[in-house]
Amino acid sequence: MRTSLDAPSKVEKRPAMGRSGPRLKRSQREALAAYLFILPDALGLAIFVALPMLFSLSLGFFSVNGFGGFRFVGLANYQRMLIDPLFRQSLWVTFVYVLVLVPALYVTGLGLALLVNRPMPFVGVFRSMFFVPNVVSLVVVALTWQVMLVDKVGFINRLFEFFGLSGYSWLGDPNITLYSILFVTVWFLMGYYMIIFLSGLQEIPREYYDAARIDGAGPAATFFQITLPLLRPTSFFVLLVSLVSAVAGSQAFDLIYIMTRGGPANSTSLVIFYIYQQAFQFNNYGYAAAMASFLVLILLIVTFILFAVTKGGRFHFT
Amino acid sequence: MKPSSQPEVTSSVVSSVPSTETPVPDSSLSRITRRELLIGGGKVAVVAAVSSLFSPFNIYVKAATPKSLSFWQFYGPGGGSKMQDQWFQDMVKSWNSSRDVKVELLYVPNQEYMNGSKLQTAFASGQGPDIFIISPGDFLRYYNGGVLVDLSQYMEDAAKKDFFENVMETRIVDGKIYGLPMEVEPMAMYYSHKAFSEAKLSEADIPKTWDQLIEVSKKLTKKNQFGCLFETGPGYYQNFTWYPFLWQGGGDTVTPEGNKSAFNSPGTAQALKFWQDTIKQNVAPRNELGGGGGDVVGNMVSGYCAIQNLGIWGVSALREGAKGFEYGVFPCPTPPNGKPKSVLGGWSFVANAKGKDPETAAKFCVWALGSMSDDSIGRVVDWCIKAKSDISPRKSALDKATQLGGYNDGPMKVFKDDVFPTGRGEPRVPPEVYKAVSDAIQACQLGGANPEQQAADASQNIDSFLAGYSGAPLK
Amino acid sequence: MTEPTAQIQAGGPSRNVFRRLGPILLFCFTAVLAVLTVSPLLWMICASLKPGDETFSPNMLPQHWTLENFQYVFTASPFWRYMLNSFFVAGTITVIALWFHSMAGFALARLKFPGRELIFLIIFSTFLVSLPVIIVPLFILVRQMGMVNSYAGLIIPAIFNAFGIFLLRQFYIAIPQELQEAAVIDGASYFRIYWSVMLPLSRPILAALAVFFFLANWNAFIWPLTITNDRNLWVVQIAIASFHQQYSSSWNYIMAGSAIVALPTLLLFFIFQRQLVESIKTSGLK
Repeated sequence: MRTSLDAPSKVEKRPAMGRSGPRLKRSQREALAAYLFILPDALGLAIFVALPMLFSLSLGFFSVNGFGGFRFVGLANYQRMLIDPLFRQSLWVTFVYVLVLVPALYVTGLGLALLVNRPMPFVGVFRSMFFVPNVVSLVVVALTWQVMLVDKVGFINRLFEFFGLSGYSWLGDPNITLYSILFVTVWFLMGYYMIIFLSGLQEIPREYYDAARIDGAGPAATFFQITLPLLRPTSFFVLLVSLVSAVAGSQAFDLIYIMTRGGPANSTSLVIFYIYQQAFQFNNYGYAAAMASFLVLILLIVTFILFAVTKGGRFHFT
Repeated sequence: MKPSSQPEVTSSVVSSVPSTETPVPDSSLSRITRRELLIGGGKVAVVAAVSSLFSPFNIYVKAATPKSLSFWQFYGPGGGSKMQDQWFQDMVKSWNSSRDVKVELLYVPNQEYMNGSKLQTAFASGQGPDIFIISPGDFLRYYNGGVLVDLSQYMEDAAKKDFFENVMETRIVDGKIYGLPMEVEPMAMYYSHKAFSEAKLSEADIPKTWDQLIEVSKKLTKKNQFGCLFETGPGYYQNFTWYPFLWQGGGDTVTPEGNKSAFNSPGTAQALKFWQDTIKQNVAPRNELGGGGGDVVGNMVSGYCAIQNLGIWGVSALREGAKGFEYGVFPCPTPPNGKPKSVLGGWSFVANAKGKDPETAAKFCVWALGSMSDDSIGRVVDWCIKAKSDISPRKSALDKATQLGGYNDGPMKVFKDDVFPTGRGEPRVPPEVYKAVSDAIQACQLGGANPEQQAADASQNIDSFLAGYSGAPLK
Repeated sequence: MTEPTAQIQAGGPSRNVFRRLGPILLFCFTAVLAVLTVSPLLWMICASLKPGDETFSPNMLPQHWTLENFQYVFTASPFWRYMLNSFFVAGTITVIALWFHSMAGFALARLKFPGRELIFLIIFSTFLVSLPVIIVPLFILVRQMGMVNSYAGLIIPAIFNAFGIFLLRQFYIAIPQELQEAAVIDGASYFRIYWSVMLPLSRPILAALAVFFFLANWNAFIWPLTITNDRNLWVVQIAIASFHQQYSSSWNYIMAGSAIVALPTLLLFFIFQRQLVESIKTSGLK
């Protein structure tokens, strides 16, 4: 790999003798280098993600029973999707989930990052403590919060009782459970996004803050006029990634799978969970693939819009 | 069996870096060619991968003479229970010592086996296990997929008759047996002696009807304890534990022929309402501790509930996990004018008809659990009273186990004498019907929905599904 | 310049008090929040020190303290071997992924070439499907490549994920242009720019990604379970899952195992978190 990358520069330095044709322009050199830089990942992604993805999604036009039975059914799966009440319900649940989770993660992640970005005693310990929830496996998270939130004897309910409030069934009431899951998810992920914001904050050169201080700007003004605008590449990243993860990602799926299995009464049945159920419990791979394709399409459209609006996520600063 | 894609990729990478020392007439052309080679090589690799993906040959390759058959289950080697693990290993060792085609155990952690994707992924890619275990609820999924071997063709007549009818009916299609159970798990109610005595209740207060259960539970419900506990998490297990209450009032999922829904009935509505009442009257919790409603140590032993709707496995679970805990067992209470009924669970051995060697696989299952030899019967006895606590699926084994005193003491005696005879096998239904029933239970129990309405809705869903269904009849 | 200072001074004593009290209040607030965040996991620690029948008892602290759970976890199965497997797999993936993704991110962010944004969008679109959707064809593919039941099968497919590429691209976009241009004028090849200029500058983000990749693969479960049948290849999470049983799992062992398993990543994070807050050096700009 190294040899081929160094080759262009060798050509650059050597005078025209020995090479009778025009040497590569700078832009061609740049393009070649870029393609080579991207090659390993592109190849790997193509083979291990894109290929299975295309295969999976194409199953949407088949009826697959998971034991080797393939049958072409055209648009039947998509038609079924449109009239399936469970699918519609899962879309609604996902919508609420995303609406609450994405802003919550953004605010908590950024808030924590701002808090621990300053020098203070034990700051390393604090950063680790905020990250600890993300380090333990989901089995631990699920069990721990089950004990915290269980009816009557859970710690949260006992705390409520202590203050004279009546307890709730945090994981058993269809009206509340989704929000309990959202709370646990934020607890689980806030350290993760805190780290991303932390590294994003480091890219803001000190001079801007110094200038702001000299100009007499208070913390709020500094934040809104310096920090936030300069954080745009990171913010863009966080919003897009948390959105996609909430809709189609493992982050959403894993916790529901372990804690509630979509219950109670389908109130936490996210789309990605419903897809999983159809594929692995009901053996309707084709139908699951159709729903997954629909999801990918929606996300692609959202991504395109966001990219168009932000000019490809490139933010130029004056 | 080297896949054809590899050589292409290697050669394209190698050829993409030609020597730069040799003078080339047109350097930019050589660069473009190099890039093209890269892209071309990549394309070939992709095409090769895709073609190998789609070619059916590679997916369903059958070896000429397999050396070993794989047996997937969630007990061992390396599973959570040493005795159950040992039982499986001993069995396989015994087979391997005298056969050419060996059987190899593969352990899949329990949750992943039951609810995960490993098994399905293996089947979907043509790599399913040769022998595996299934629960009654899963039967149709596998049968309709054509992966179950008829085991009765390798069984002696005496053996076929040795299995209890009520246990086997959900594993028989057209008179042929497709699964051999190693256990029978009836459901009943467990209660904690400590909780009862604290509430000044005695054996005489053991409830026999639904109303009595709720009344007694009210007396047992206090600040840190619920009176009774039923499963609230959606899944095959919840449906399984709810069936007795459906059947007691004469309700049923489908008609005896199995082609139409029978779910829209008063029996259904009252069963749904009963579970709803336990929640509404605050005597049962909306969610459980530990592993869910089937976990006795997490719930009853920890004092979370006083009475728990639980199966026979609780006996061995308590024996191993909470020695000294005092408890009793009574049959599920009945509604007014209801008949006592319980449900019989239990996993069975099955052979993969699309596996490497279905015949030997089937013979293994029969040899292990379904032959009249002492060895086979003894094995079943060992599982049911030593490794685990279960009712035997075979008359001979049950008799032998009773002789050995396995059903002498309290709880096991109650299960054998009072509960098992009223038991009916866990229904076999396709996943869509399972979901319709599950949604009805969830909506009533936790969502406060109207039971009659839910029964009607679910029944409609079942009917519309059955209209397009063509597979083995539901039971 | 005197006016702003005069304004500050005109704020008076209350402003000074706030300025002095501010950091202390912030410290207390952060400390309280940190403790609250960690407190649910206190239960996990306690559960790992309790015997099995006490796991769900109402009292938080054990009635019978015991280290037997930890002992069991290490002796019942070759847990060290599984930790080594996890470490090897996660470590290898992290190193390779960091290298590949930083190269790709650099090219997509800083170099100009035809099809740049389109390629990036295509790469990003692979992020839109998660493992459950692609697991069956991926398994078939990996099996065709002969990587089933091998370290290669555990490592190679897990390297490629658009998340890292996306994050690095955003990071590199924000790096001031001047740094790169200076190096180019000096006649450095693109690889040299990447290796000697960009990589050192991206220590914060590489530290973050190192932690993320290691953690994700250390805790990985579904793919390792799918691709391996050989117990010698088990990763720690599978080993912990083996303590589950059909109805009553040994939660005490599960909690003990999970506590042990959480430590390496926490340690890794604690070591790396200083790198996270390293500012981009601005020397050479002015």
